[in-house]
Amino acid sequence: MSAVETQEYAPVFTGKTLERLQEILTRYPTKQAALLPALWLVQGERGWISDRNMVEVGEVLGLTPAYVKGVVTFYTMYHQHPVGANFVQVCTTSPCNICGAEDVVKALLAHTGAKELGATSPDGQWTVIEVECLGACGFATPVLVNDDFVESVTPERVPELVRKYK
Amino acid sequence: MPDELINLTIDDVPVSVPQGTLVIEAAKQAGVLVPHYCYHPGLAVAGVCRMCLVEVEKAPKLQIACATTVAEGMVVRTQSEQAKQARMGVLELLLINHPLDCPICDQAGECELQDFVFQEGRPGTRYAEYSKRFNPVEDFGPDVLYVPNRCILCTRCVRFMEDLAGEPVINVSERGDRAYIGIHPNARLDHPWAGNVVDLCPVGSLLSKDFLHKARAWELDKTASICTGCSQGCNVTLDTRENVVVRVRPRPNLQVNRYFICDHGRLNYRWMNRGDRIEAPLVRRHATDWDEALSRAATVLRGAGGKAVALVSPRTSTEALFLARRLLARFEWTGAFQVVMGDEAPLPGVPDLALRAERAPNARGAELLGYSRDYAAALETSRTAAVVLVIDEPDAAIETAGTLLYLGTVLPESAHGAEVVLPIANVAEEDGTYVNRDGRVQRYFQAKPAPGMARPAWWVLSELLAQVDGAEHCASAAEAFDALAGSTDAFQGLSYAGLGAAGQGITAKAGARA
Amino acid sequence: MGYPHKPHAKETALLSKHFGDPDARTYKGWAKRGGYEAWKQAQTMAPAAITDVVKESGLRGRGGAGFPTGLKWSFMPKEKKKPHYLCVNADESEPGTFKDREIMRWTPHALLEGTLIAMRAIQAEVGYIYIRGEFTEPYAIMEQALAEATKAGVLGGHKIHLHRGAGAYICGEETAMMNSIEGKRGNPRIKPPFPAAFGVFGMPTTINNVETLAAVPHILRQGAAWYKAMSLSNPKSTGTKLFSVCGHVRLPGNYEVTMGFPLKDLLHELCGGMRPGRTLKACIPGGSSVPILNREESEGCLLDYEGCVEKGTMLGSGGVIVFDDSADMVYQIMRLARFYAHESCAQCTQCREGTAWTTKILERILAGQGKMADLDLLLDLSDNMTGKTICVLSDSCAAPVVSGIKKFRTEFEDYIAGRKQPVMVA
Repeated sequence: MSAVETQEYAPVFTGKTLERLQEILTRYPTKQAALLPALWLVQGERGWISDRNMVEVGEVLGLTPAYVKGVVTFYTMYHQHPVGANFVQVCTTSPCNICGAEDVVKALLAHTGAKELGATSPDGQWTVIEVECLGACGFATPVLVNDDFVESVTPERVPELVRKYK
Repeated sequence: MPDELINLTIDDVPVSVPQGTLVIEAAKQAGVLVPHYCYHPGLAVAGVCRMCLVEVEKAPKLQIACATTVAEGMVVRTQSEQAKQARMGVLELLLINHPLDCPICDQAGECELQDFVFQEGRPGTRYAEYSKRFNPVEDFGPDVLYVPNRCILCTRCVRFMEDLAGEPVINVSERGDRAYIGIHPNARLDHPWAGNVVDLCPVGSLLSKDFLHKARAWELDKTASICTGCSQGCNVTLDTRENVVVRVRPRPNLQVNRYFICDHGRLNYRWMNRGDRIEAPLVRRHATDWDEALSRAATVLRGAGGKAVALVSPRTSTEALFLARRLLARFEWTGAFQVVMGDEAPLPGVPDLALRAERAPNARGAELLGYSRDYAAALETSRTAAVVLVIDEPDAAIETAGTLLYLGTVLPESAHGAEVVLPIANVAEEDGTYVNRDGRVQRYFQAKPAPGMARPAWWVLSELLAQVDGAEHCASAAEAFDALAGSTDAFQGLSYAGLGAAGQGITAKAGARA
Repeated sequence: MGYPHKPHAKETALLSKHFGDPDARTYKGWAKRGGYEAWKQAQTMAPAAITDVVKESGLRGRGGAGFPTGLKWSFMPKEKKKPHYLCVNADESEPGTFKDREIMRWTPHALLEGTLIAMRAIQAEVGYIYIRGEFTEPYAIMEQALAEATKAGVLGGHKIHLHRGAGAYICGEETAMMNSIEGKRGNPRIKPPFPAAFGVFGMPTTINNVETLAAVPHILRQGAAWYKAMSLSNPKSTGTKLFSVCGHVRLPGNYEVTMGFPLKDLLHELCGGMRPGRTLKACIPGGSSVPILNREESEGCLLDYEGCVEKGTMLGSGGVIVFDDSADMVYQIMRLARFYAHESCAQCTQCREGTAWTTKILERILAGQGKMADLDLLLDLSDNMTGKTICVLSDSCAAPVVSGIKKFRTEFEDYIAGRKQPVMVA
């Protein structure tokens, strides 16, 4: 379910963000091709992508909201709900799994106060999720904190990592 | 460019088909229906359900018949052990999350999943997990419900809305086994052609609210008909249960409507079941039998002279229009009809297919037979005419100093002063033809009996002609049409039998549109 | 070099020579190391001549399929009637694989140079480098490198754009990638038509992997014969290959060796062997999509396309996942199946339903609620999932399951028979 938006909608694509989009549009022969970058811009600005945002993106790129939603829901990195100020993605696929990734997850849940996967901590600061392969298997366990890619995280290193983002 | 024919064999049956034909279509020519879900001849190929896997000699693995084009000398086996196993595998996988709620599903009896599982599925399930995927029923639009639990993700509906309706208001959401057909909360599946997704759905996942729990598929009788919703002339099937029309669905005709009809036509059938019908002939408002009524009408016609006016509904069959004109030939004749106008609503992905602004199925036929669109002028003429013959036109403004003869399905106020009222059948109750806006003459068939003593208009008019002129009586719509074709330039060379189920165009010269 | 470790004498550091050296990231630093010389050379050559050199070198696609690169380029229309595109596959998402990440992090200009050469060879004016969304650091580095190269004027008339993915393994499949670039769901397309005829935006397109393109400048500069000579076993497998080794080895990392290098030496020498007190149990040599090898097979396997096939597996992307005797193979195979179930695009029935069902059965076995018949069911289901779908994601889910049951059957039976403590799966 999407969060209810009661306030009047403030468009994302104005000023600098609109300029960014216009530059991106020059890279592709179709407007539709700018959809993924446009969604990244929305998420960058708003932290997640609401149904209303999808309507706006559709208007800007000449796509229906349903089409945009179909694409948003395909790609797991687009947030369809608000997330914590720090969004933590922990790889638990096999190669990291055998190196103790599930213990890293437990440590992160404990130290951030997020308590369970996908839930945001009561202070709104942390959301921790398990993700499939982050593509850094030789550096188990890789953790993506927002846009920071942290290699070789162990349960022991978790407290220090959490402190850094507090 | 001449079409080069490709020769191949499918299940040992040799077939020759044009270059570029898909194996699944070529198979039909060999009398083989390759089981399939995502493939639909009216939609772009998706190749996703993987149900139509067949063995193609020399190919390293099984091929999908829907995306494989024929090649010279190709040898296709749809019944090889490997192919059958693969399809059984697909069916098993489709069923692990599909509820076996056929007893309460509208699609049961016309469900492609049910049919193919019965035909070549595994007798039992090996799915030992407790729960099936669950998502609640969604209200997609004015006439469409989505039951996600039954969905097999064939994407026909999504492709229809995207490619043909040009309005992708539904999508595939999420991925993997979490995927479902989604809609944006701000949108409704209310495109004028949206109802087609219900027909396209091979299972009971997209349902028509109008048809919800109305009937089981096996209780339905199906009759080929022509949609009366507009002048496009879409071919339809009338589904009747116990002589009640309960559903209208498209009947494929590549020349007219391909596989589709609009929602206006689809939902505009209740009038065919109206209960307030005229069930007996009336002479001066007194019910009587056909002999007396016809004899009275014939007497009027024989005794009158001067001007006669025919005011006809553009839903009147071509046959009745022809006979009415012939009946009034002895007079100074005027014929006219009026057309209800509405908004035009095209299906953008199919050329020349739209819900037409003219909501009249036989306006073209009437024109070809000399009826005028100047209804107002005809009304004016009626005032001084000796005879006014009305065929199912409920206009209350008819005033005449002469005699009013009324042929109708119901008795409107305008008919109250009629000398004779003759009850006639509606389109669902008779055989006949309509001429669509492109000059295509198409037959419709009787789907249910007419109420009481009502008879097809062509029969009534033919009886009158026999009595007035001693003309030979037509025993069927076919005879009436053939008489028409034999005496009317525009219809020259056509015969009722020759029209078949798909219809034929009137001669190019006569059919050239103004 | 065995990044992040010291180079090993048995390595042949070609692509990885500058891993770990931040100076090589910069345009200046790269030029100092001979960067863009090959591109200069290519600009003096006819497109077909570049393709011929690459063809002759025997270079094969490093993304997983191993298709001959020069041959792929030669499929592009010779006579140019429409825009041509190059898509660079930097969506590296195959579990066990992390080589393209290092190429982009340390030698972004090597990728740009290879990209430019390929674009000339296939007459493409626009190239898209599709970088998976999670690769935030490689993306930033590539962006910087692209800006520098553009400023330095090396791109000539060519345009290269970065396109960021957003979390979808399947976008590493070339037709899914093209759809993703077009702003669609990353659904693989049915073939034909093939990308060289109808690719991204419906135009002739070639898709190459990062490592493949990074090798191209070397081939151009040192010649096809030189590259071809780098082969320790089969002449059809030439040059060097980056192997990303992860899991239970002492020194996980990227190792670059000549094709045909023994897997045994890679694991026990270059990677420092198993952790103390542990022994090798199993190894997946080409990323999670290829069949698992047991210890004997691993230790007899030569790392090239043919050597892996000989052992019943594939070289794939060169992502080597190592399991020691502490690994629970049933649990890990479940994790891999879950990965594929998570990543299935939902198009093909066998994949959408099969990957999820496979995962459920494995979870049930782990929970101690399996039956012996489940193993046959898994094998039969895997057979249904192999060779029947648009792309090979479904096959990839089946590969570890089938090879796992075949080679580690007793581990499954232990759970089923109650000889092993059940694992409740989250």
